[in-house]
Amino acid sequence: MSELITKLGIDYKLLIAQIVNFLVLLFILYKFAYGPILAMLEKRQKKIEQGLKDAEAAGKKLAESEERQKEILRKARTEAKEIVEKAHMQAEKSKSKIAGVAKVQAEKIITDAKAEIEREKTKTISEIKSEIGSLVVAATEKVIGGKMDEEKDKELIEKSLKS
Amino acid sequence: MNISIAAEPIFHIGSFPVTNTILVTLVLSSIIIIASAILKSRISLVPRGFQNVVESVLEALLNLVDSVTQDRRQSKKFFPLVATIFIFVIFSNWVEVVPGLGTIGIREELHGKSVLVPFLRSGSADLNMTLALAIVSVMAAQILGIAAIGFGKYAGKFFVSPFRPPYFVGTFVGVLEIISEVAKLISFSFRLFGNIFAGEVLLMVMLFLVPYFVPLPFLFLELFVGFVQALVFSMLTLVFLKMATTEAAH
Repeated sequence: MSELITKLGIDYKLLIAQIVNFLVLLFILYKFAYGPILAMLEKRQKKIEQGLKDAEAAGKKLAESEERQKEILRKARTEAKEIVEKAHMQAEKSKSKIAGVAKVQAEKIITDAKAEIEREKTKTISEIKSEIGSLVVAATEKVIGGKMDEEKDKELIEKSLKS
Repeated sequence: MNISIAAEPIFHIGSFPVTNTILVTLVLSSIIIIASAILKSRISLVPRGFQNVVESVLEALLNLVDSVTQDRRQSKKFFPLVATIFIFVIFSNWVEVVPGLGTIGIREELHGKSVLVPFLRSGSADLNMTLALAIVSVMAAQILGIAAIGFGKYAGKFFVSPFRPPYFVGTFVGVLEIISEVAKLISFSFRLFGNIFAGEVLLMVMLFLVPYFVPLPFLFLELFVGFVQALVFSMLTLVFLKMATTEAAH
């Protein structure tokens, strides 16, 4: 057995040296390589996952806000349409109202003017009448050539006026 | 041409023989440690260059460990040992394709003959190294097994009372389990040693027969064998660890 071991080159000193060497290597790699690298891998994985999640959330939010924007635009458009229509109606209404008022006023003005004209006319006619009377007296005086007495004069005037 | 199963000592420190394999192993370990130190100082969230390579290898290994353990926490416990074995063994194996291996050395008088003692010899082509790894692997399985399921239950795998069912069958299986733990040591160490030593001898013979071009396919073959053996060693370690940490189902 011991001969076999020496033939195979197994030496307990070398064996122990190799074990120690490997354990040292294991310890150092454990401390300096695996820990940091695995932590880094995990960190990166988390970061990428977070990034993907964030991107997805951002995309969703964007689509949502776009939808909302569209909604708002649509609402604003219909509202504007309504407002314009209302304004149109209002304008139409006030137009007819104003027109009615104007018509009434105009009619009033016209009737007023007519009345005024009528009054003026009667006044003028009565003035003319008295004027004509005195004119006729003067003319008749001249024609007859002499003054008549008061009684005759009056009689004559009334007679002529009546005819 | 001199083929020696044992690693050849180059010089002695006191009574400690410094063999060519332990020299190569030490140099390899220092290179790995320096590389990891450089990596640690430059590690960043956005990987580049060397960090990418290391990360992809480690991540692949971690996923492999995950596929065996089915448990991230346990994977993290097993991962350092498995990954270190893989990295250490694959580089030890690949040393055999380094030019100058087995040809550059010093002439020494041995048993009245002048033989060439090469400076370089693949770490895995020395039983001391493979046996050391096997011991570490098997011991780790025992320690982690006891830590995971408790000393009593773990010992219960090996020492089964012959007075409870299945009586002597259980006791016999327990004895077989003990033997299999020892057999693991032997199979671990001799599998790796045999493969790499044979590869080294093959490359050397090829180089002596036809120095140009013909050894090339064998170099690629040895690269592949080195990878496979490293994978086998680490995966078997992983499986044994997993088996040791699961309670025996009766």
